Amino acid sequence: MQASRARLFKEYKEVQREKTADPDIQLVCDDSNIFKWTALIKGPSETPYEGGVFQLAFAVPEQYPLQPPQVRFLTKIFHPNVHFKTGEICLDILKNAWSPAWTLQSVCRAIIALMAHPEPDSPLNCDSGNLLRSGDMRGFQSMARMYTRLAAMPKKG
Amino acid sequence: MQNQDGAVADREKESAVSIPISEVDDWANFADDDIMQQQSAIHAEEAKKIPFVGDKEPLSMLAAEYESGSPILLEKIKVLDQQYAAIRRTRGDGNCFFRSFMFSYLEHILESQDRAEVDRIKGNVEECRKTLQSLGHTDFTFEDFFSLFLEQLECVLQGKEDSISQDELILRSRDQSISDYVVMFFRFVTSGEIRKRSEFFEPFILGLTNATVEQFCKSSVEPMGEESDHVHITALSDALGVPIRVVYLDRSSCDIGGVSVNHHDFLPTLGDKSNAKGGSTVPVKPFITLLYRPGHYDILYPK
Repeated sequence: MQASRARLFKEYKEVQREKTADPDIQLVCDDSNIFKWTALIKGPSETPYEGGVFQLAFAVPEQYPLQPPQVRFLTKIFHPNVHFKTGEICLDILKNAWSPAWTLQSVCRAIIALMAHPEPDSPLNCDSGNLLRSGDMRGFQSMARMYTRLAAMPKKG
Repeated sequence: MQNQDGAVADREKESAVSIPISEVDDWANFADDDIMQQQSAIHAEEAKKIPFVGDKEPLSMLAAEYESGSPILLEKIKVLDQQYAAIRRTRGDGNCFFRSFMFSYLEHILESQDRAEVDRIKGNVEECRKTLQSLGHTDFTFEDFFSLFLEQLECVLQGKEDSISQDELILRSRDQSISDYVVMFFRFVTSGEIRKRSEFFEPFILGLTNATVEQFCKSSVEPMGEESDHVHITALSDALGVPIRVVYLDRSSCDIGGVSVNHHDFLPTLGDKSNAKGGSTVPVKPFITLLYRPGHYDILYPK
């Protein structure tokens, strides 16, 4: 508990210091609880998520950094490796490939990379996975773009 | 009557068992988190059976384990019995090599009070720190693990306020918040060494998996619970400059008749070259001996 708190505090300081280093990620710690974080990440360019801003919720366990944080999308997203209802993310580093070498910031980077490179063979969203696996790029992109517009972009007028 | 009662009882049992299943009949809500929770529950269950590091047991306990087993193994255990006095088991949680190394090394320092060795390894640890920095790791991701190992190293040296006894060393090795951190320290060190000398390790890694050096370290070295192989042992031994003997207890046999037990000494290659040359005439005797049975490492104590 003490170790995880100390580590998270170091990450917090690093985030404050490097605020401008990664303009695609805005990582914020809860005011009253260092085990709860949220992040705003920008959809990567040349993907159907471009132009969208997606919110992630982090729940950090007491055994952190020996155990991974739990991360999910709060913003609705149409992606093969994200559960459409719960926002749960299927990413190896959040499960068995986790190591303390990762940080909350680098997890955000890995999630952005996952948005740009979906893994349709291990889908949490089968509809999305099937579109990609059947080679229907147009179908996948238009669905993904539609949800980006509906959920991840500021409403116009 | 009895039968009926029994049937009723069975049905009740069945329904009692089926309740948790019906609770998760909404599989949409059964997420990976639940699976991980279940996994850690299983680990906790296992933990009750064998601690991270067990008690020292006479080697006869090993023979008892194979009582009705393969005759080759029993023959080999007899051979081992002539050279080794005891075995100390470690938990088979994928970290057994690192855990065995940790305990064996710290116990050796505790018993030998070899301050020169402590100073030497501290130098290597400093090198490992620089390696990780040069590979682009942020200090805070690994420094806690480094300092916890160095702290244990100081504690096993006697005559200080924070010196610890053998019993305390065993307790610490069983305390997850210390034991896992030291294991993770070794994982960082191993990963750093492999990536620093990626050209050397690449062919061995290709022989094991289809992964690049970088992928291998990310998926098979750095994560806790990933099992160790020759590559890990070589890298750790080189990085820390600590020779390791691994004794192999498997069913392989030689046809000349008579059973022998193979062992392999991992001797650190890097570091002081002139020293290594001198070492070729006077072979270094590793002070760490591990017993390897396919898939698992334990600690051996020579007679």
